[in-house]
Amino acid sequence: MNLLAFGIIAEKIGASNFSLEDIKDTDSLKEKLLQQYPTLQELNYIVSVNCKIAHGNTVLDDLAEVALLPPFSGG
Amino acid sequence: MKHSPKNIFVHGAITPTKIAESIQHHSAKTDIGAHSIFLGQVRADELEGGMVIAIDYTAYEQMALEKMQEIREDIFAKYTLTCAHVYHSLGEVKVGELCLFVFTSSKHRKIAIDACEEMVERIKKELPIWGKEILENNSTSWKNNI
Repeated sequence: MNLLAFGIIAEKIGASNFSLEDIKDTDSLKEKLLQQYPTLQELNYIVSVNCKIAHGNTVLDDLAEVALLPPFSGG
Repeated sequence: MKHSPKNIFVHGAITPTKIAESIQHHSAKTDIGAHSIFLGQVRADELEGGMVIAIDYTAYEQMALEKMQEIREDIFAKYTLTCAHVYHSLGEVKVGELCLFVFTSSKHRKIAIDACEEMVERIKKELPIWGKEILENNSTSWKNNI
C-alpha cells in the first residue's frame, strides 16, 4: 500500500511517499508504523483515506490514497 | 448555490499588490456595501533556538482544496455573501510577509465580518497545511496552531 506523509511525520519517517505491505485497516497501519518507526510514538497524527479523515478503525483498500497527517498549522 | 473548486495556493508570500488588485476588481460589483479582509503575517517569534526568520509551508493540496470547497459552500449557505476569496502561501514566507489572505464581500458589514472570521477559523483548524518555522541558526521547528 502506498502512503503519503506530511509535516513532522514525513520528517521522522524520512520520506513523504513510501509503502507498507499487508495493511488491513487503520489500526494495523498505526501498529506497523510504530514497529517500523518507533519515534512516531511521541507524535500525534490522524489518517486520511481518499482525502477524508478516518474516524475510528477503518478498513483500507489497497488502491486507496492513505495519508498520515500531523496537527494542522496553516495560516 | 454551487461554487466550482478553486485553487487557493500561491508560491511564496502574498504580495500587497495582489491584495490591492483584488480589491480593485470588486469596484464593478456595485451591489457590494462591505468588504472584510483578514491578512495573516509571519511573526518573528522567539523560540529556544533563536528568532523565527521565515515559515516554510507545505500542504496536502488535493485534500486542502476539497476541504476548502466544503468550507466555502458552508459559508455561502450560512451568510449572504456576494463573493469570497482565499489565498494561502506554500513554500517559504519571510517574517513580515503575508501568508494568508481571506476576503469576503456582502451588502452589509456584519455579514462580511462574521463570514470572514468563521472562514479564517475553519481554514486554520481544518486545512491540511503545515508550517515549519525556520530559525536564525538554520534549525527548524514545526509550528503549533493555538
